[in-house]
Amino acid sequence: MATTGTAPKPRPLSPHLDIYRFTLTMAMSIVHRITGVGLYVGVLLLAWFLLALSGDARSYGTFAAFIRSFIGQIVLFGFTWSLFHHMLGGVRHALWDAGIGLDDPLRERLAQATAIGGFGLAVVAWIIGYAVR
Amino acid sequence: MSSFRTPLGRVRFLGSARLGAEDNWRMHLTSLALIPLSIAFVVIVLTLLHKDYNAARAEMGEPLPAVLMLLFVLTGIYHAELGMRSVIVDYVHGHGREWALIANTCAAVALGIACVYAVLRIGFV
Repeated sequence: MATTGTAPKPRPLSPHLDIYRFTLTMAMSIVHRITGVGLYVGVLLLAWFLLALSGDARSYGTFAAFIRSFIGQIVLFGFTWSLFHHMLGGVRHALWDAGIGLDDPLRERLAQATAIGGFGLAVVAWIIGYAVR
Repeated sequence: MSSFRTPLGRVRFLGSARLGAEDNWRMHLTSLALIPLSIAFVVIVLTLLHKDYNAARAEMGEPLPAVLMLLFVLTGIYHAELGMRSVIVDYVHGHGREWALIANTCAAVALGIACVYAVLRIGFV
């Protein structure tokens, strides 16, 4: 270390998130990560469901009461949406790996399709869930 | 000259571990498998939705839903563990990173064992 007493000049950093213009593909990249982490946490809910069902009617009743509550329904819809959004995001990544959809018009269309498709599939699953008994 | 270490000694263990390709391949493999498995999972949940405890338990204990659920849980948790690992490596720095990676692996194994135990118990008990 130099002993002259002057602080070392900070090294130049590569450009980071905050200097870029906001784009849809950027947002989809972030949402892909958020839904992925959300699904990880959602496995807790799945484990609770399976363990409750493996127990007795009382343990399943506790789970069913939670999932049918307002908060439970919001959490479950969030899980459904995350699952479909993350799935379509994965398909988009697979297309990119094949060299498809990296250029401007298709890239934007795929990002829009992921956003709309993920939400749409979640809504369709819920309509089926409520309609079919 | 402030260090007696050789240039080679200074850079050793600072580069790639050369194991990334394996994780990348497993990420792709599990993500591909999870497309049909996730759809199967949603269908299973939809069929159980309006059933009471006895009916839901009997349905879940059938061989096909049980095997599909086991495949979904194990593939999904493996995929989640790999994904969370890359999130940790990107955002957690210093010694917190090691603890976060340990917690990630432990949580994934614990959740996986819990889900597998539950599905087997539903099927056999």
